[in-house]
Amino acid sequence: MNSQLANYRESDWFGPLLITVAAIVIVSVFNPEFLSPYNLQILLLAIAVNALIALSQMMIIAIGQMNLSVGAIGGLAAISFGGMMEVWLIPWPVAALLALGIGLFAGIANGVLVAWTGISAFVITLASLSIFKGINLGITEAQPFYKIPEIVKLLGNETFLGPLPWLILPTVVVAVGLWYLLSFLPLGRFILAVGGNAHSAELSGISVAKTVVAAHAISGLLAAMAGIMLVGRLQLGQPTIGDDWLILSFAAPVIGGAVLTGGKVSVAGTLLGVTIVVIINQVLVLFNIDPFLVQVVLGGLILWAVGVNRWREVRAQKTEKRLAA
Amino acid sequence: MNNTTKAADRTADAFGPDVQETSSQHPAMRLLLTNEFGLIALILVFAVLFTLLNPGFVSKFSLFAMGRTAAVNIMIGFSMMVVIITGGLNLSVGSIGVCAAMAAGWLMQSLGLPWYLSLVGGLGVGGALGALNGIVIVRSGLHSFIITLASMSIFFGVMIFLTHAGSFREIAPEVVAPGRMKFFGVISPLLLITFVVAGLLSVLFRFTATGRQMLAVGASPQAAELSGIRVQRMTVWCHALSGVLAGVAGLMLVSRTGAAIPSMAGQLGQDWLLPAFLGPVLGGTLLTGGRASVLGTLLGAFLVTMLTTGLLLLQIAAFWVQTYLGLLLLVAVLMDLLRRSYLARKKLV
Amino acid sequence: MSDVVFQTKGLCKRFPGVMALDDVAMDLKKGSIHALLGENGAGKSTLIKIVTGIHKPDGGTLFLDGAPLVLHGPRDAIAKGIGVVHQERNLIPRFSISENMFLEKLDSHPLKRIDYQELHRQARHWLEMLGLDADPAIPVEKLSVARMQLVEIAKALALKSHVLLLDEPTASLTPHETDNLFAVLNRLRDDGVSMIFVSHKLEEVQEICDRVTVLRDGKNACESQPMEGLGRQDIVKLMIGRSEQIPNWQARDRTGNPPVLELKNITTAIGHRAVDLSVHKGEIVGLYGLVGAGRTELAKSILGKYLVTAGEVLVDQHIAAISNVADAVGRYKIGYVSEDRKTEGLVLMHSVLENVGMTVWQRLAKGVAFLTNRAIRTQTLPFINKLEVKAPSLDQLVGNLSGGNQQKVSVAKWLAAGVKILIVDEPSVGIDIKTKTYLHELIRELSDEGTAILLITSDMPEMITLADRIVVMNDYRVMGELANCREYSAMSQGIMNLIHEAVEVDMSPVQATP
Repeated sequence: MNSQLANYRESDWFGPLLITVAAIVIVSVFNPEFLSPYNLQILLLAIAVNALIALSQMMIIAIGQMNLSVGAIGGLAAISFGGMMEVWLIPWPVAALLALGIGLFAGIANGVLVAWTGISAFVITLASLSIFKGINLGITEAQPFYKIPEIVKLLGNETFLGPLPWLILPTVVVAVGLWYLLSFLPLGRFILAVGGNAHSAELSGISVAKTVVAAHAISGLLAAMAGIMLVGRLQLGQPTIGDDWLILSFAAPVIGGAVLTGGKVSVAGTLLGVTIVVIINQVLVLFNIDPFLVQVVLGGLILWAVGVNRWREVRAQKTEKRLAA
Repeated sequence: MNNTTKAADRTADAFGPDVQETSSQHPAMRLLLTNEFGLIALILVFAVLFTLLNPGFVSKFSLFAMGRTAAVNIMIGFSMMVVIITGGLNLSVGSIGVCAAMAAGWLMQSLGLPWYLSLVGGLGVGGALGALNGIVIVRSGLHSFIITLASMSIFFGVMIFLTHAGSFREIAPEVVAPGRMKFFGVISPLLLITFVVAGLLSVLFRFTATGRQMLAVGASPQAAELSGIRVQRMTVWCHALSGVLAGVAGLMLVSRTGAAIPSMAGQLGQDWLLPAFLGPVLGGTLLTGGRASVLGTLLGAFLVTMLTTGLLLLQIAAFWVQTYLGLLLLVAVLMDLLRRSYLARKKLV
Repeated sequence: MSDVVFQTKGLCKRFPGVMALDDVAMDLKKGSIHALLGENGAGKSTLIKIVTGIHKPDGGTLFLDGAPLVLHGPRDAIAKGIGVVHQERNLIPRFSISENMFLEKLDSHPLKRIDYQELHRQARHWLEMLGLDADPAIPVEKLSVARMQLVEIAKALALKSHVLLLDEPTASLTPHETDNLFAVLNRLRDDGVSMIFVSHKLEEVQEICDRVTVLRDGKNACESQPMEGLGRQDIVKLMIGRSEQIPNWQARDRTGNPPVLELKNITTAIGHRAVDLSVHKGEIVGLYGLVGAGRTELAKSILGKYLVTAGEVLVDQHIAAISNVADAVGRYKIGYVSEDRKTEGLVLMHSVLENVGMTVWQRLAKGVAFLTNRAIRTQTLPFINKLEVKAPSLDQLVGNLSGGNQQKVSVAKWLAAGVKILIVDEPSVGIDIKTKTYLHELIRELSDEGTAILLITSDMPEMITLADRIVVMNDYRVMGELANCREYSAMSQGIMNLIHEAVEVDMSPVQATP
């Protein structure tokens, strides 16, 4: 029983979970409004979209790379979704599928370029960020698409059960799916193996290139999903969707214990990371604190989280040395 | 003097007959294959193309405006370059640039300091924020990517909090003048400032111990350390210098627009990221560190500015410019890959 | 002949400036542990790289079960049945034991659920066979180094390897863990597994191996001889050759000169205990020891890279406060020629002039405002010429030079710096005989001019050629010291005795506490 507890304490999601629970308790004591059904609905809506953004980046962190183009892919998918419905009058489910396809394709393009050229993912995704964002602006000329079907707006904002919004459903499916993928399916294990030690993964017969492409493909798909959901949430196809995703996309996985050199990510941890970020956002609104402080807090959280991870690493190395001596 | 000549003679002796390590040496070929030459060729090709399509491209005003924009872009490129040579990145260049500009604006407007002290203050803020990045990086041992990602958010957030997102518009005329002035009707003083900074950077990397040590640290931190170079100090200095240069770029924008505006580099200063990387990467600065090309960065950033101006002028692609810039970056790194593998095969480097 | 599992014939491998392997042969029998020995630079690691598919041989053939074998990369070698346990761990730290073992086999379909129970069951079979009592479900990062090694062996066996290559498997094991490993290896041998065992520790080789191949200067010093009848001295003789390479220089005694560098009873953060050492003006002190004795680490502690936690370091008979390498180089004039010249000694992507000049920039920049190439050239060229660095120009990138010329550059840089104390670590690894002789003369000459030199080398003839006194280290402690009488057999015997004593001292407490 004791060792079980110790195990929990060692796990990545334990710290974020404590913080989340503590934050909820403290905030609701100071302001009971916090747990009102309406506020919960707002919280869950924000978590639903932001979780996909964070998971999209998490898949790339898992292979030890970074994807600067998460926001640009999301934005491109969002305006494609809006545009196809407004201009081509395509029914919304088909438009959503096509927009997802665009995200998938964008991710595959990133992955193929990284794997094939060997150029760092940073440069490739910086270039593709600019390309995707440029296509977005080229199509929209910076004007939003307004004619969004009512059903999409409804799905983007309404609840189906108590405070539970429709948007939470796809996020739950994705989170469970990714957890299953990373825990039980060879593809997921290969992604983590490549991130953990690409050299020995290669020696064990894993195709590093294919795995990298797969991870980028999943990342693109999830970013597109987040973009599409935001169209429903905002009730218009904003070209600026995705512009401010970058910091959050790194903050949440890192708070959730992800190691930036790859091989270690946690779906649960990332979800808790998103929750913490969303709660902080809400608190600043509820207590009328300057919303721009969110940025400071986000940056501070990243530093705190990488600091904690680093400290753990150093400690682990020290224990290892002691064992060896 | 005599000594030097003798030494030079001996070089000829020692290095004359024993050409065994490299297979071939074609000076002309080497020149043709340098990045700088490629960039100059591209600049000429596009200049001719744009002029043919729209003679307005070479009008006095167009050249002036292009030079003035290039001045800022080149400075942003330099700011990133001095960190890239350590093998790191600085995502917070935009954030620091805006902070420095806002600091200078505040000193001028709210404290009423003379304009020169305000500028120095702004640059000081830039340098201090850069140094802060550097110190956290060397102390924590973490990669500069994540540290500067966090600090870009923190610096920008604190700045917005302190200024309540308001602008400073009472900028001293001495500061605004260079942004409007024209020499010979075409040359902006801002461009001249950029050239001076480029010259200083060239001197730094070629003729000072500090600059050479920075490059050695970037190329191989272990070898540099065991040769008695203070690796951590050099890394911090590179980041501080990056902050100062970002500050210069920010102040140039203040001079051009006549105001210090929090949104002048976009959300969190992210608008600077692409130009910051385009210049050095096009200019042949290795992202893994250890090599810098001041001229290359200058030419690269100039090419980017020229393409943007030209495309906007032709009005065929106002909204697509960013796509072209992204493609340019992609093509540039691919070309660079090909060039390097070609040179490696021919053992020309 | 039919019981020969794996064989190499006439293997040649050439690198720029060096013949790394020249007509090397060995054959590995079924159910045998075959020792592969050789000093640093003898060609051992090149042979390993060819056997594991990293390098392609320039000549000669590999045979597996009598059929010629061509390897296309390390992955191919593993697929064809050559299992390797490398010195560096090749496991995925956060994955479980069984998953690491069977990563190979998960490939059936990327979206088919992994049956962990089945994996654990299969893994348990191999773990039991190796006597490794561990739950196959726990991540390998929670295992000790010794157990990780057993997991790697299990992995290789599970992949049905015909040949198992063990590269320095005991390097980071305690004596007790080593005994365990040997018990496992013996059992495997009796089951018919063929192993190639690479080690620096001769006691171990004699204990566990039944046949031996020794390499020296890229050639077979002996080919697949039975271990029986070979004494320890015989093997050492095979490895380091005869004394005839030793030039007929005068024995010197410089202990009368004032001491330049003294260590008094120092303890370091990385494990040195009670180390005493002194180097006098114009003296060459050799530091001998087996790999892992803590010599390079001691050098780096002197340089201030690792913390000295107790005791005193004296330079010119004054206590020296060295807190980082910059202090050691700049203030106390201590230079260090690294054994790892590609990552620690040189900046490969920079030119000859930049590399040699690295240590003089600071000094030159103080005098003149501008540090010009011309000034650096004037300062460094005499030394570049003195060392006869062969490069088409001073602008040539050091990475494109041959090993010998690279080493000359890394020595020239310290001559240019004008150091008083020079620590030279394995100066002749990977360089040709001619350059080696030249370097020896140069080091001797330097000491004659008054430089105090601390020489770290595992090359016994080199040690006896150069050193005036030889200090023997083992397990981060100084075991004793010998004056060099320049007589090969006496010296090597003396050194071996000191190390041997050390090993016995080491073993006894372990046996006392089981």
